[in-house]
Amino acid sequence: MRKLLFVVERDLRTFLQFKVLIIMRGIWFAAQVAFFGLIASRMVVPELADIYFEYYIAGVVVMTLYSSSVFIGYDLFEEAEHGVFEYLLSLPISRKELVVGRSIGGGVRSFIFVGPIIAIALYVIGLANPVNLLIALSALFLFAFGVSGMSITIAVSLKSGDRFDILMGVVNALIVRLSTTMYPQSFVQRASGTYAIISQFNPVTFASDLFRWGAGIERYLTMNPMPLAAIVGLVIFFFTFTLIGVTIYERRLEGGGWQ
Amino acid sequence: MSIIQAIDLTKRFEDLVAVDHLNLSIDSGEIFGLLGPNGAGKTTTVLMLSTVIKPTSGTAVVGGHDVRKSPTDVRKLIGICFQEPKILWVSNPWDVLNWHAKVCGLSTQERKRRVKQVLEDVNMWDYRRKKVHGLSGGMKKRVEVAKVLIQRPKIAFIDEPTAQIDVVGKHKIWNMIRELRDEGSTIILATNELYEADRLSDRVGIMHKGKMLVCDTPKTLKDSIPGGDIIEIELEKEAGQSVLKELNDFEEVADLVSLKPNKLKVHLNRVEEIVPQIIEVFLRNGVPMRSIRMSEPSLDDVFVHYTGLTIEEAEQKSPSR
Repeated sequence: MRKLLFVVERDLRTFLQFKVLIIMRGIWFAAQVAFFGLIASRMVVPELADIYFEYYIAGVVVMTLYSSSVFIGYDLFEEAEHGVFEYLLSLPISRKELVVGRSIGGGVRSFIFVGPIIAIALYVIGLANPVNLLIALSALFLFAFGVSGMSITIAVSLKSGDRFDILMGVVNALIVRLSTTMYPQSFVQRASGTYAIISQFNPVTFASDLFRWGAGIERYLTMNPMPLAAIVGLVIFFFTFTLIGVTIYERRLEGGGWQ
Repeated sequence: MSIIQAIDLTKRFEDLVAVDHLNLSIDSGEIFGLLGPNGAGKTTTVLMLSTVIKPTSGTAVVGGHDVRKSPTDVRKLIGICFQEPKILWVSNPWDVLNWHAKVCGLSTQERKRRVKQVLEDVNMWDYRRKKVHGLSGGMKKRVEVAKVLIQRPKIAFIDEPTAQIDVVGKHKIWNMIRELRDEGSTIILATNELYEADRLSDRVGIMHKGKMLVCDTPKTLKDSIPGGDIIEIELEKEAGQSVLKELNDFEEVADLVSLKPNKLKVHLNRVEEIVPQIIEVFLRNGVPMRSIRMSEPSLDDVFVHYTGLTIEEAEQKSPSR
């Protein structure tokens, strides 16, 4: 357990070294809210503009959490390039501790990064029910760990930085666009029944719904009233990718190294 | 007592057999030099023994644990100094070593003490907070070596420890490796520097094209070259045929060449044992000696003897991975 925490600590320390990247992500969030959010909310009927703006801010928080959790996969390529991978594999840490620690590290650091963003979002939206918010944030932790696990799984499966970059772009396009991050489920349903089914079982939808529920914006939730399904969905998502991550990590890397 | 035993250890990378049915036994507490040109299979052997990569076939028992069946147990006993420093560019030496010591189970106090001590020993204390991307190749290598020195593992794999390091630094690191051994570690030193292997190793295994050609103490390896030792003798006067015959009769003498009437070159074995007897032959026959110069074979000569190539030629011919 201690060694797992050391792995988490290492990922946190590494992340904090990339100060420019953290600042850039912060600017990205500010631009999304201040430009896109404000302008896009003027496209809906005037009486719903403020509500959509709040809805959108909550969505951007989850999108930011998703994209910063994915970042751990890019770290793996950076480490492979510098040979750090072999070093990590030579340490007195089991492969399971290593991959679980990295998933958690990826999730925790995303949360640390998203923490101030959540605070800004809650300032704009307001905080209706602290207990709900706490439950929602706990579930978002699992979401962040799951996305990190997914990113690690894809990275070690592909072993190519370019292919990873392209695939993550595609995954991002599918998983975020086919969710309720930026638009309510009723609009997805109107566009296509198939889209609606996919978006209902999408971890990004689960995370977005939970955050909105936690923040008290319940009007456009996919699952009403208590998003138990979303919590269960995120738990399954977390365990699936952690388990797959451990298995693939062991098979692909220990079998013949990164190269 | 054997602490590492490789049994038909083999690693293939597609068509390339990087390590080919390696059989090897390393005793506890020795410095074992794994010598060979780049591409000989040394690093692949180290990576398999340290469980970083799995063998294609065969296995190895390291510290009583099979590398295939109990890799986590093996990793608890080992430490590696990699050939290329494995450090992320955004880190600094202090963080890298402090974290390494933490993972290796050192207590907070002991960790801080050892990290400071070793950083000072490898002349990196002043650069402990400098980002890795600002360090020279030699400095990065010192940090890499420092990992093992801090950890003091039961079994240390040290891959080309003094590559890119200046002469003074080399001697310092060699001394530290010896101290590590004296404190109880078994050391596997992979190197293509023959002088380094000769100076440090209790035994040397010469690898070429993934195979272990020969393995013994440096002295035995050198003695295994027929006529490997050379002495050049300058005499006050010409030696007669009877003297030359008497010299040729020593079984240690492999060849005797007259460079000049009063100058001889003798190829022989076990020079340190036979020279007093050669001197005695000249004195007994009334042929005073003006000078005598002895040279022993080096591990370069051993490598040439067993491969037919110099280490540089072998490197040029080695298949690239």
